[in-house]
Amino acid sequence: MKIAVAGKGGSGKTTLAATLARLFARQGRDVVAVDGDSNPNLALALGVPRAQAESIPPVPRDVLVDRTGEDGKKMSVLSMPASDVIARYGITAPDGVRVVVMGRVGHAGSG
Amino acid sequence: MCRSHAAVRGLLREIVEAAGDVSVADMEAGLEHLSRGTPRHTDLVLSVVEPYYRSLETGARVVELARELGVARVHVVANKVRDEADREAVDRFCRARGVDLYAVVPHDAAVLESDRDGAALLDGAPGAPAVKALADLASRLLG
Repeated sequence: MKIAVAGKGGSGKTTLAATLARLFARQGRDVVAVDGDSNPNLALALGVPRAQAESIPPVPRDVLVDRTGEDGKKMSVLSMPASDVIARYGITAPDGVRVVVMGRVGHAGSG
Repeated sequence: MCRSHAAVRGLLREIVEAAGDVSVADMEAGLEHLSRGTPRHTDLVLSVVEPYYRSLETGARVVELARELGVARVHVVANKVRDEADREAVDRFCRARGVDLYAVVPHDAAVLESDRDGAALLDGAPGAPAVKALADLASRLLG
């Protein structure tokens, strides 16, 4: 089950996402939590100590490389298996949830 | 590190596809991460709303967009609901907009206190009413 949690800032979506992730893990599920917010604080909400949460490196952009598909369209593909990305850049939060941080989004043109 | 929305979407898609059993993605506050490709890496969108008009409007837009894109399951979760009047207001709004109010999480001072102390809700207030509501939601979602 692949779940996306959306909502306005301040709606509590991060607390909700983090709590659900840990509850799923307690049900015996193998859970990956992905912080796709440009102000990442999912790790903290999961219970990762602040110093550790702040030191999580965002997944570096060079794991994505541009390829031109058969249809001539440009697409981004991973330069390593995604499971390696999770293993290398993810950290383990309480209840065994693995958390991966996508990183900040720049303004148009800077990304 | 700065990156484009497209790059984040690409990464998100790849990582979620490789994730084992369950993935939970905390998305950008706006709708930037919802795109035509979304249903390929999202089985379920949870639109979290608070019981006030602008939040409900945003939540309803998330639901409509996710449906248009073809996401299989789209649910509204009302958060920080203080009382029956709040619940009725959310319920009325959802009915009028044809969106499904799937779960209600009560307003809970324990959530604010955990936030303030930098603790996870499950560690700071494991017995809080909000946790009970979320545990119920968790088992319904995967049950």
